[in-house]
Amino acid sequence: MNSRWFWHGVYALVLLALALAIYAASRTVDYTWRWDRVPDYIVAYEDVDLRSTLTGIVEISDGQVEIIGTQDAAATETFGDLDEVLVEDGDYVFDGDVIGTRSGWRIGPLTWGLVVTLQLSILALLFAVPIGLLAGLGRVSTNPAARNLAATYVELIRGTPLLVQIFIFYFFVGTVLSLSRMTAGVAALAVFTGAYIAEIVRAGIESIPKGQMEAARSLGMSYGQAMRHVILPQAMRRTLPPMAGQLINLIKDSSLVSVIAITDLTKAGREVVNSTFSPFEVWFTVAAMYLVLTAGLSLLIRRFELRLARSDG
Amino acid sequence: MSAGVEIRNVSKQFGNGVQALDDVSLSVAAGEVLCIVGPSGSGKSTLLRTVNRLETVTAGDVLLDGESIHTAGRQLNALRQKAGMVFQQFNLFPHLTVLDNITLAPLKVRGESMTTVKPRAQSLLDRVGLGDRGDSFPSQLSGGQQQRVAIARALAMQPDVMLFDEPTSALDPEMVGGVLDVMKDLASEGMTMLVVTHEMGFARAVADRVVFMESGRIEHIAEPENFFEPASGSRLDLFLGQVLR
Repeated sequence: MNSRWFWHGVYALVLLALALAIYAASRTVDYTWRWDRVPDYIVAYEDVDLRSTLTGIVEISDGQVEIIGTQDAAATETFGDLDEVLVEDGDYVFDGDVIGTRSGWRIGPLTWGLVVTLQLSILALLFAVPIGLLAGLGRVSTNPAARNLAATYVELIRGTPLLVQIFIFYFFVGTVLSLSRMTAGVAALAVFTGAYIAEIVRAGIESIPKGQMEAARSLGMSYGQAMRHVILPQAMRRTLPPMAGQLINLIKDSSLVSVIAITDLTKAGREVVNSTFSPFEVWFTVAAMYLVLTAGLSLLIRRFELRLARSDG
Repeated sequence: MSAGVEIRNVSKQFGNGVQALDDVSLSVAAGEVLCIVGPSGSGKSTLLRTVNRLETVTAGDVLLDGESIHTAGRQLNALRQKAGMVFQQFNLFPHLTVLDNITLAPLKVRGESMTTVKPRAQSLLDRVGLGDRGDSFPSQLSGGQQQRVAIARALAMQPDVMLFDEPTSALDPEMVGGVLDVMKDLASEGMTMLVVTHEMGFARAVADRVVFMESGRIEHIAEPENFFEPASGSRLDLFLGQVLR
C-alpha cells in the first residue's frame, strides 16, 4: 500500500517538474504572457452599441427610445432595455448613429469554433457509420464485386493523407457538384472515417466464431437475417472501444478542414492569434478545449460500455 | 412429421486436395436413428454437414424429404428448416437469453407471433429439463445445459430430421447422460436422427443402424447387434478395440 502511494507521488513530482521546465523555458524567450486576453474570446460580458437604421427624430418615454422617420412617419424603431442612452428627446439622428448601449454576455469566436467543430464531427459521424458498416459488410462478403469495391475504397482512403483528401473534396468534388465548403468538409471527414470504421466492423465480424453463422443458417435464417440478429449484435459490442477511439480521432482530424476556410476551433484559434498577438496562450487554450471535448466523450463512452457489460449476463 | 434423408453418391474434395468424402451413398428412412462412428478425419462430420449444405459437395446430392438440397436455390433456407442441427460446441447465441435463443428463428424466419412461439419454447425447455432457466444467458449454464438448450432451439423450428454433430464430445463426463437422455427421448418419439458420435453405448442402445466410416467412405453398416460383433482383424474390429477399451 505504501509503495503505491510512493509511485503516485513520483507521478505528481514528474508532472510538476515538467510544468516547471516549461515555465523556465518560457522565461528564456522574450514573451509577455497575457492570459487575461483569452477569456474574452471564449465568452465576454460587454457593451454592445445599438444603432439606428432610420433617419428621424428621437422620442423618449419611460426609458424607451423611439425614432420616428422623417421621410415616412409610419416608419418607427424602438429600443428598450438600454443600459446607457446616448441621445436626448427631440434629437435628430441619422441612419447608423449610435442610440445607446446594452451590455450582455456574448459568445466568443473560440466557443463558436468549438460549436462548429462539434457540428462537423457529429455530421461526419452520422454519415461515416453507415458508410463504414456497408463497406465493412462488403469486406466480409463472398460476392467478389462487393468485396473488391469495399477493399478498393478502404485502401484508397487509408493510403492517402486526409489533408489531400480534403483538398480533393473541396477543389474537385466540391466544384463538380458545387458543394458548400461545409458540405465538402463533412463529406471528406465522413468518407475518411468510414474507411477506418469499415476495418473495425470487419474485424468485429471476423472475431465472432464461425459456428454462430452456421447455427443461424442451420435454423433456416438467410445470410442477412443471421448478420442482423446474430452476428452484428455480438460484433457491435466488441467494436465499441475501437469505434470510440475512431470518434475521438474524428474530432481531432476535423481540425484539418480549417484549411478550406471553415471556421472550426483551429481556424478560430488562428484568427484570435492574429488579433491578440498571443499565440502561446491561444494555442494552449485551443488544445485544452479539444481535450475537454475528447475527454468528455471518452468518459461518456466508458459509462456506456459499463452498462453494456452489465447487461451481458 | 418425420422424413427421410437420401445421400446420393456424395463426394467432397477440399481446396487443399484432401478427399473428405468419396462417393458416399446412404439412405435413412423416416423415423430411423442412424449413428455414424469412425476415427477422426474419416469424414463423418463432413458427411453430416452436407445434409443441410453447411458443407457443399463436389459431386452427388442429398435429398431431404425427397427434395434436393444441393441444387436448391432460393428454397434452401426453407429446406434447411426441415433439418435441425446440434453442434459439438453448442453455438448458442451468447447475447440472447435461453428463451430468446429458442424463439429467434421461429419469430424471424417463420414470422410466427410471440404468443404461439413462447408456449412452445417453454414446453421444449420443460422437456429438456430446463423449464426454469428461460431468462438465463448461455454463459450462466453448464455445458450439458447449453447443449440441451441447443437441442430445444433446433426443435423449435419443428424439423423433420435432427442432425447431431458429436453432441457430447465437448462435455464433462457427468454432463453426457442428461444430453443422451434427451436424445433417447427424441428417438423414441420417432424423430429421424443422424448422429455422429463416439458414444458407443448410445449407438448400441438407440440406433437402428450404425455406420462405420473411414477415409471418406462407408466401410461398414449394420444393425447394432451385428455391428458390435465384427469379424476379428477387420478395421472396424481395430477401431472398436480402441474406443471400447
